[in-house]
Amino acid sequence: MQSLDVISINLWQILISLCNLLILYLILKHFLYKPVQRAMAQRKAALEAQYAAAEEAERTAGETRRQWEDKMAAAQSEADQILQTAQARAQRRGSQIEAEAKERAESMVRQAQAQAELEQKKAQAGIRHEIVDVSALLAGKLLRREIKPEDHRELIDSVISEIGESDG
Amino acid sequence: MKTNTRGFRVADGLLLLLVLLPLVCGMVLKVLFTPASSDIEIAGALIYFTIPLPYGGLPITESQVNSWLVILSVFWLCLYLCHGITAQGGTKRQLLCEWIVEKTQDMVTSNMGQTFLGFAPFVAAVMALSAFSSLLSLLGLYPPTSDLNIVAGWALLVFFLITHYKLKCGPMHYLKSFAEPAPLLMPLNVISEFATPVSMAFRHYGNVLSGSVISVLVAAGLAGLSRLLLGWLPGVLGEIPFLQIGLPAILSVYFDVFSGMLQAFIFAMLTMLYIAGGFPAELYAKRQEKKAARRTKSNA
Repeated sequence: MQSLDVISINLWQILISLCNLLILYLILKHFLYKPVQRAMAQRKAALEAQYAAAEEAERTAGETRRQWEDKMAAAQSEADQILQTAQARAQRRGSQIEAEAKERAESMVRQAQAQAELEQKKAQAGIRHEIVDVSALLAGKLLRREIKPEDHRELIDSVISEIGESDG
Repeated sequence: MKTNTRGFRVADGLLLLLVLLPLVCGMVLKVLFTPASSDIEIAGALIYFTIPLPYGGLPITESQVNSWLVILSVFWLCLYLCHGITAQGGTKRQLLCEWIVEKTQDMVTSNMGQTFLGFAPFVAAVMALSAFSSLLSLLGLYPPTSDLNIVAGWALLVFFLITHYKLKCGPMHYLKSFAEPAPLLMPLNVISEFATPVSMAFRHYGNVLSGSVISVLVAAGLAGLSRLLLGWLPGVLGEIPFLQIGLPAILSVYFDVFSGMLQAFIFAMLTMLYIAGGFPAELYAKRQEKKAARRTKSNA
């Protein structure tokens, strides 16, 4: 069997070799690159979808958290307001009660003063009355008798005793 | 796709078998048709038969057959690698084929730019065909890369591609590029244009062939030395070329494995650089812009 020379050039062989390289290129492109790239693209798409889903979940979570925070803040302010109004009402009520009590106490004091004055007046009037009575009695007695020291003493004693009696 | 079913595993085994089958066929062919000879012989590929055609006829040679076997093997290997590929990924096999795809794409984009991303399979094909062809010599087969015709075919295809990309800006621009930097240099430019594929082909072919030649010479020399030094040993022992043990294996590691891989890489690299270098990207972009502007104008 024959061999080629070490250096030999044959047009057909060159063309066939050229086609061989093209065929291998097509084989690699079709049977290696295409499926691998498809798989990689699919994986990339899946990854991106997952990332998007995670981002979406994070976003919604943040939103709900914000909502809750808003709600919490609102509740806090509401509670504060309620407390404030309650405090204000209590204060108002307290001062009202205080004022009422003061007024009542004052009125009571006034009443007591008035009564005391009345009593005093009454007592004064009574004393005056007594004095008038005593003086009338004394004058009557003086008019009825002559005045002697013994008699005077007696008289005075009697007047005094009378006063004491009437006082008592 | 479920990877642990019986059918999957059977298909897997079948594909692996089909990857190996062409190589076994090549070895059988080699054993059947290579004439036994004890002489030192440095010859080209064996011619099985010749198809009568004009311009010298088409000899079906060992190198042709072996490169077809390589193509077949690579085809089944692709099917095997992509068998059971899923969107989730994670299997070792899928990692391997993703690594191949991404690595070649990275290489192409870093050497040629993003516009040439479609060249990744082509570059991978160049590398695979060249490397596996050279590695066939590990199996004792004739490496197709040590046949000038085979490598010349690849270089010619690369030359067509280079010229195609140089013609992207119109034939006038292409012709004008020969007169640069000075019209006087035109002959040199023409020569360098045609030297590109020739140098690519001869570089690859010469490296691989010289490796085989050196291996054969060293083996023959060692056999002679062995006969000279150890020929006095009695009987069969004298016939055994003991000195052939060792050194040819190291040479084989260098010439068959390292040099073959290196030449494949160099060929692919030069392919990328020449094609990308021949493409006047900026001018082409400008022309496209102009064309688009004209089209919108005519539409309006």
